[in-house]
Amino acid sequence: MRRVIVTLLMCALAVSADARQLKPPIGKPDSIKFAVIGDSGTGDQHQRDVAKQLTERRAQFPFEFVIMMGDNLYGSENPSDYARKFEEPYAPLLKAGVKFYAALGNHDDPNQRFYKPFNMNGERYYSFKPSLTGGVRFFAIDSNYIDKRQLDWLDKELAASGSDWKICFFHHPPYSSGETHGSSVVIREQLEPLFVKHGVTVVFTGHEHFYERIKPQKGVTYFIQGSSAKLRKGDLTQSELTAKGYDSGYTFMLVDIKGDELSFQTISQGGQVIDSGTTRRVEVTTPEGERPVTTPIPKSRGSSPAPARPRGQTGRDQAAPAQPGR
Amino acid sequence: MRQLRYIPVSILLCLLLSCAGAAQEKPSPSTRQKPSPSAPAVNADAATLADFKGRLTKYIELQKDLADDSPPLKETSDPAKIDAAQEVLGAKIRAARKDAMPGDIFTPQTRALFRRLMYPELKGEDGPETKATITGDDGPPKVPLKVNAKYPETQPLPTVPPNLLARLPQLPEDVEYRIVGKTLILRDVDANIIVDFMPNAIR
Repeated sequence: MRRVIVTLLMCALAVSADARQLKPPIGKPDSIKFAVIGDSGTGDQHQRDVAKQLTERRAQFPFEFVIMMGDNLYGSENPSDYARKFEEPYAPLLKAGVKFYAALGNHDDPNQRFYKPFNMNGERYYSFKPSLTGGVRFFAIDSNYIDKRQLDWLDKELAASGSDWKICFFHHPPYSSGETHGSSVVIREQLEPLFVKHGVTVVFTGHEHFYERIKPQKGVTYFIQGSSAKLRKGDLTQSELTAKGYDSGYTFMLVDIKGDELSFQTISQGGQVIDSGTTRRVEVTTPEGERPVTTPIPKSRGSSPAPARPRGQTGRDQAAPAQPGR
Repeated sequence: MRQLRYIPVSILLCLLLSCAGAAQEKPSPSTRQKPSPSAPAVNADAATLADFKGRLTKYIELQKDLADDSPPLKETSDPAKIDAAQEVLGAKIRAARKDAMPGDIFTPQTRALFRRLMYPELKGEDGPETKATITGDDGPPKVPLKVNAKYPETQPLPTVPPNLLARLPQLPEDVEYRIVGKTLILRDVDANIIVDFMPNAIR
């Protein structure tokens, strides 16, 4: 009997250890590696716990930058708040040269755009390319204030980008199974047509204080990562939209992109991997004279494959510098 | 003699034809005096928008003049500099507009027009979703509705639904619309102050 108990204990330990390991294919050599946090600026212990876990994970997965989904600073925004709610929790990462790229949330003063460590170039919306060779461009959108000027900018920027991967991130989720907020339909109506038109494959958002991966919608995979310091336990009611949801703990994401594959892991503040998967871009043969098109095929657990449908063009950006918006 | 009988008829036909031609070339006096019912409203709306734009332009010019003599709002790693620049500019604007009153920019005519412009989005199919977006998760923020008041930095800045923004006149980058409860606010982005406000904008 004792032997059985010992064996069971060892198995449990092995499973636990395994759950904390980075699962292939994440962590591929020479990939673009980044982390995703959202609704993070509380300055409390939960933020610090997630930040600590994020820092520890970097030893295994040396991400170069972090994208922030907004609500970067809750409450007051005095200089001491910038320290307590950003600089101190992420000090080891900042010291190691990790760059943070922020989007604005509804708790953020737009003047955060002047704070250099947020890398917004003084603009409320902007795009950046993390690597000259990676074929990825990110577009930070200010979903608090989507006026014609911003929509025109996004349309133009997406059209001009020849990047293989066009990734958008902003605060309000166009799709959500949350009880408190739910899908931001009026924002979806403005942004989704541009995503579809220009071949945006992946969108990261926050606002909801939980994690949810949405089944691909019109060829776009949406993630909600809004629980990096705030948590609304029990707020997520799994719906037909939900590929995977988690509202029991604080989370962040690790993502890498290499070639046509984007792999991700979602990790709790305790270090458990709560979701993982891969989204793959597949070249679709086109008649001669037409541009090649792509379609994402999610392979993640629990998600149904998106129907193959022609979408945006492929190609490579020629230059890396960030493209400011407003 | 029979031919003579046709002369008055011919003259009458000629007169009728000439009248018909004239009617095609020019509107009749009665038409000119009765323009289409929407025309005065359109003209009034255009005049109201032009007036709003003019008042706004005056404010922006003032803000820019004051900003030129203030610490610059530019990228920095020191948030104290952002804070200071915002505070100094806000104080200068408050001093320069110490006599500013509610309605200086959102005039009664502008308020009526804006309410009419937003009405379809608030009462239509997207109405509930639009209002829910404004309300947010924590309800309306606690904001002093006073011209020149600082927007409290501890309070969230409610999201302005894009379908409402699409209905309202596009603003210069230095100012923005925000909605607090039922009140539409004109907020100076750089100085973080309330430039004007419009009660009962959301119905």
